[in-house]
Amino acid sequence: MIGAAVVIIALIGAIAYNLVPKISERTEAQKYVPSADNPDPSAVIDGVEKIDYPAGTHVQAPQRVAYDQTPPMGGPHDQYWATCTGTVYSEPIRSENAVHSLEHGAVWITYDPQKVTGDEVSTLEAKVDGQPYTLMSPYPGLPSPISVQSWGHRLALDDSEDDRLAQFITALRRNPNTHPEAGATCSTTPGSFDPSAPPPFDASAPGPDAVPMTVGQQSAPAAPATGSNLGPGNG
Amino acid sequence: MAESDDTPVLTAPAAPAAGGWARLGRTLAVGVFALVVGLYLGIGASGLRGGHPEPPAQDSVEVGFAQDMSVHHSQAVEMSAMALTNATDPAVRTLAYDVLTTQQGQWGTMQGWLAVWDRPLQAAGEPMTWMRATEDSAGTAAGMTEHAAMPPGSAIQGPRMPGMATTSELDTLRRTTGPAFDTLYLQLLLRHHQGGLPMARYAAANATEQVVTTLARQIADTQQAESTTMQQLLTAHGAAPLPMN
Repeated sequence: MIGAAVVIIALIGAIAYNLVPKISERTEAQKYVPSADNPDPSAVIDGVEKIDYPAGTHVQAPQRVAYDQTPPMGGPHDQYWATCTGTVYSEPIRSENAVHSLEHGAVWITYDPQKVTGDEVSTLEAKVDGQPYTLMSPYPGLPSPISVQSWGHRLALDDSEDDRLAQFITALRRNPNTHPEAGATCSTTPGSFDPSAPPPFDASAPGPDAVPMTVGQQSAPAAPATGSNLGPGNG
Repeated sequence: MAESDDTPVLTAPAAPAAGGWARLGRTLAVGVFALVVGLYLGIGASGLRGGHPEPPAQDSVEVGFAQDMSVHHSQAVEMSAMALTNATDPAVRTLAYDVLTTQQGQWGTMQGWLAVWDRPLQAAGEPMTWMRATEDSAGTAAGMTEHAAMPPGSAIQGPRMPGMATTSELDTLRRTTGPAFDTLYLQLLLRHHQGGLPMARYAAANATEQVVTTLARQIADTQQAESTTMQQLLTAHGAAPLPMN
């Protein structure tokens, strides 16, 4: 009888020993990895702001877009996407180009050049340079020292070493559930967008002729389908 | 036969009460055993989705190869897109078109696998860690350790894979025109092709999914053949290959 009890306890112990660490390990590692069961893992990252944007219409420079967010994280955008093949821009770039890169699944790291300098910039650069579907640029007048954007998602940060930056990238970069144009490229061809001489950032407020963000707030449940009538961009 | 006849004799002396406890113990043990078997079967069955077997694990050769070779291929596509516009030699433009269409197609295939397997399309950590799992495999570990060894505690975003052009090399290529473009493109693409070979060979030797081993072997074979072509083109252009990075 004691033997049987020992066998039972040993079996239960073996099951627990085998399963519990595997389950908890997988749970932690998978927490920020998108999957069918967890389509948008950024939901568990503290401070992520989220707006649903449909695929955006295209504008041609110098036409501007009256973005509703700073920095923008979705909406109409330039026909040319900013090169985002792990590209570090030392000068501020035109937001209309960067938003198109977000539509292609890229993550865009921006920082306030007044507040983030030297080693902090290098720390950010190390997370971007050569990493596909990632770009980084200074953004004058940023509301926080650092802000990281993916399509429809943004996270304001104070510190370049904040763990949430890597979590945000894992959760959202090329996440097919959160950006409109899965499979689109980040590289650019000669004559389109030149990453060595990108169109410059425009700090002035967009004028009355700027394309409005009419497609920017379609997450409202009352009008779920109107965005599709405007026609997504195909670039 | 005589031995099996002896067996009941050995248990017979047990007292009736003790025999009852033993039966209860045995029944409990059998019950728990059945529970354990059922639990494991249940866990196994939960991995089956619509009759399909469990997809390759996150840290498998299959997933690692599909993720990292996708990244490797996408840079060859980027450089070849420049060459389609900027190369002067029609032979170089044709090579560029071949590489661009082939590798973009293979990229889509690998991305499709990852989507079906429900794995991330792009890895977030350091590249090529999947090549360390089974280092005893034939002729592949050497090529891997030579290139993929990296200091411990490196940034979560790992360094470049072998053969990958740096940002400044890509910048230079973008700015180069005329016959000098042809030479630099050939040099960078040759190094890129050769840098991808250890990964392709490792996956061909170590993956268990047949679609993966087949594509990996084809990539290894065609990149080897195209490397020979590029070496000949470089010689014709009067230039030498770059050393592996």
